[in-house]
Amino acid sequence: MKRVFLVFVSIALTVLFVLPSAAQQYISLGVPTSLKLIEGYEGHRAAQLAVEEINAKGGVKVGQEKRLLKIEALDIRDGEPGVPTSEALLGIEKLILDKKIFASVVGNFRSEALLAAMDIYSKYKTINVGTIAMTPKFQEKLLSNKEKYKYSFRNCLDSRYLAGYIQNTMKFINKDFGYNKVYIATQDVLWASATGQMMEKWFKDNGWTVIGFDKFPVGATDFSAGLLKARAAGVQVILPIFDMPTSGILVKQWKSMKVPALMAGFISPLMGSKAWKTFGEDIDGVMNVVFEIGYFPIKAYPPTVKLSEAYQKRWKEDIQSGHGAAPAYDAVYVLANAIEKAGTLDPDKVVEAIQATDMVGAIGRIKFDQSHQTIFGTDPKQAAVGCTFQWQKGKMAVVWPESIASDKVQKPSWMK
Amino acid sequence: MLVYGLINSTVLALMALGFNLTFGISGVANFAYGAIYVVAGFLTWTFINQLSIPYALSAILTIVLIGIFGALIYRFIIKRIRGLVISEVIATFGISIIILEFLRYVGFIGFKYSLPVFVDGSVEILGAFVDIQRLFIVGFVILLIAVLYLFTHYTKVGLAFRGIAQEEHTSLSLGINPDRIAGWSMGMGCALGAFAAIVILPLGTITVDSGYDVLISALSVCIVGGLGSTFGVILASFIIGYAQTITATYVSAHWTMIVSLIAILIILAIKPSGLLGHQKELEERV
Repeated sequence: MKRVFLVFVSIALTVLFVLPSAAQQYISLGVPTSLKLIEGYEGHRAAQLAVEEINAKGGVKVGQEKRLLKIEALDIRDGEPGVPTSEALLGIEKLILDKKIFASVVGNFRSEALLAAMDIYSKYKTINVGTIAMTPKFQEKLLSNKEKYKYSFRNCLDSRYLAGYIQNTMKFINKDFGYNKVYIATQDVLWASATGQMMEKWFKDNGWTVIGFDKFPVGATDFSAGLLKARAAGVQVILPIFDMPTSGILVKQWKSMKVPALMAGFISPLMGSKAWKTFGEDIDGVMNVVFEIGYFPIKAYPPTVKLSEAYQKRWKEDIQSGHGAAPAYDAVYVLANAIEKAGTLDPDKVVEAIQATDMVGAIGRIKFDQSHQTIFGTDPKQAAVGCTFQWQKGKMAVVWPESIASDKVQKPSWMK
Repeated sequence: MLVYGLINSTVLALMALGFNLTFGISGVANFAYGAIYVVAGFLTWTFINQLSIPYALSAILTIVLIGIFGALIYRFIIKRIRGLVISEVIATFGISIIILEFLRYVGFIGFKYSLPVFVDGSVEILGAFVDIQRLFIVGFVILLIAVLYLFTHYTKVGLAFRGIAQEEHTSLSLGINPDRIAGWSMGMGCALGAFAAIVILPLGTITVDSGYDVLISALSVCIVGGLGSTFGVILASFIIGYAQTITATYVSAHWTMIVSLIAILIILAIKPSGLLGHQKELEERV
C-alpha cells in the first residue's frame, strides 16, 4: 500500500513540476486567424515551416539558453461572413491568457478586427506581426499613440502599396503597348471597390479613358453584360479586382467572348500554380498582381525558390495564395532574430529589436518604417516587393518589376 | 443581352427545379439543398481526381448517391417532423450547416476544385460569343423539363407524386404511401440538385460558401414562381434572369442581386403564393 502511495506521489510531482518546466522550454507563437480561408490556412503552414526550420537548428538563443519555438493556432474565423469582431478578439485573448503566447503572426483578416486587436496586444504586451489585413488605418492608429501600440507590426503590404503596384503595371502596359482604354470590374466589397475607385481616379488623372466601371455582387456567375459593353466601346485593358471563387468565370468569358483586351489586375483564384490545372488554357495571358513575392519560385530572387521548395517538401503542395503565406514565414524569422538580438523575452526590448530589423526574407529585404509597416518597393534587394506575372502556357512568368522580371508580356492569341 | 438573358434564366431554373420538386410533392422546404449542391460538386471532383473514375461515370454515381442520401435524410430525420414547418426548416438548415462545416473541416479550402467542361470552346450566336457549356445548360434544362413531365404523367411513381401533391389524404385511400413518396421526392430533389451542380459548376470553381448562394437563388425563384409550381419556377427564372441581365447591361451589375429581392417583395405584396402558386391560405389573407 505504501509503495502504491509513493508511486502516485511521484507521478503527481512529475506532472506538477517536470512537465510545466518542460513546456517552459518552448516559446509559443500564436496564429490567431481564419484557418479555413486559404490565406490563413497557408499562413499557418508557412509559420509552422519556419518554426520547424528554426527548431531543427536548435531553436532561438535567448541570452545563453537555446529555446524551441512552438505554434499555437486558433481559428478565430474573422474573415468569414457574419462572425462578429468581438468573437475574434476573444480568440486572441484566449491564446494570450491560456496558451501564454509570447507573440503572434498571421492574425486578423478584417481591418476592423485588426484595429481592435491592437488594443489587446497593447494591454498584454504581446507582439503581433500581422500578414493579412491591409488597411492603412493600421499605421494611423499606431502613430496616434506609438508607445501604446508599439507591439503591433505588419509584414504584408497595405492597400496603398497594392494600388501603387497596379498603377505601375498600367504605366508599363501603356508604355509597351500604348493602351489607354480601360474597363474596371471589381467585386462589390469595400476593399475591392475602394481600390477600383482609387484606380478610376488615377486613370482619369493620367490620361486614360475609363469606358466602364462595374461592381459585381459576391457570387456573380455571369460577367457577359460588362464584357459586351467593354468590347463594344473598344476596350484595350480590363482591370479586374476580385477574391471571390466565381471570378474565374470572368476570365473564362473573356476568352470565350474573345474580348480584344489585356486582362491585368488581381484575381485571387488565379494566383497559385494549381490555377492552370483548375482553369486550363482559359487563363493563358491573364496578368495578376501579386501582393508579396515568395510563394512561387522566381529565379532572379533565390529566397523565393528556397521557400517554395521547402514548403513543397514539408506540405506536399505549393503555396496557392499570393498574399499572407510568405510574409508569415518571414514574420517568424523576424521574431526569432529580434529575440536573439534582444537576448531576452522582455517584449519592450524585442519590439526595439524588431524596429531595427534589416533582413533578407522571401518577400524581399525586410525593414519596418516608423509606423511598423514593412517597406515595399520594386527591388527585393532594397525592400519587400510584390510583382506582376502573366500566365504563359502554364508558367507564371514574371513581367514586372524589371529587377525580377523573366519574360515579356504576350497578347492573348485572339489579339494578335 | 437576349442570348445571355436566356442562358442566365435557364441556369436559375436548373438551380431551382430540385428544391421546387421536393416542396411541391412533400411540402418540405429543403434548406439543405444548397449544401447538397456543393457536396455533389466535391463528390464528382473526388471521383474524377482522387479515384480516377471517368467523368460520365462520376457524374452518374454522384447523382445516384446524392439521391440516396436525400432519401435517407428524409427517412431518418424529416419523416419524424414532417408537417411541422418550423421544425422542418430548423432540421434542414441544421443539416446544411453540418454538411458545409464538415466540408471545410476535411479540407475543401481554396480555389483548386473545379469540374471540367463537357466540351471546350465557344460559338457565335446573334453576334455574341457563348461558351458551349452554357449551351449545354440550356439543352439540359429543356430535356429535364420534358423528362419531368413524362415522369409525372406516365409513370406509377410520378402519378403518385402528383397524387400526394394534389390531396395527400385522398391519395392514402388509393393505396399511396405519402411517407414513401415524400422520401422519393426528397431523393429526387437532391438528385436534381446534384445534376444542376454537375452541369453548372464547370463554369467556375466549387467552394463551400456557394451552398448559401445556391439556396438563396433557388428560394427566390420558387417564391416568385410559386412554391411547388414547376411552370411557375420556369416563368420566374425567365423574369428574374432577364431582369438581372437588363439591369447589368443598362444600369449596373452592382444592382443585379437587388432584382430578385425586389421581385420577391412585389410578389409577396401582390400575390403571396407566387405567380403560379396555388396556396389558397395565402391568397385569402391578401
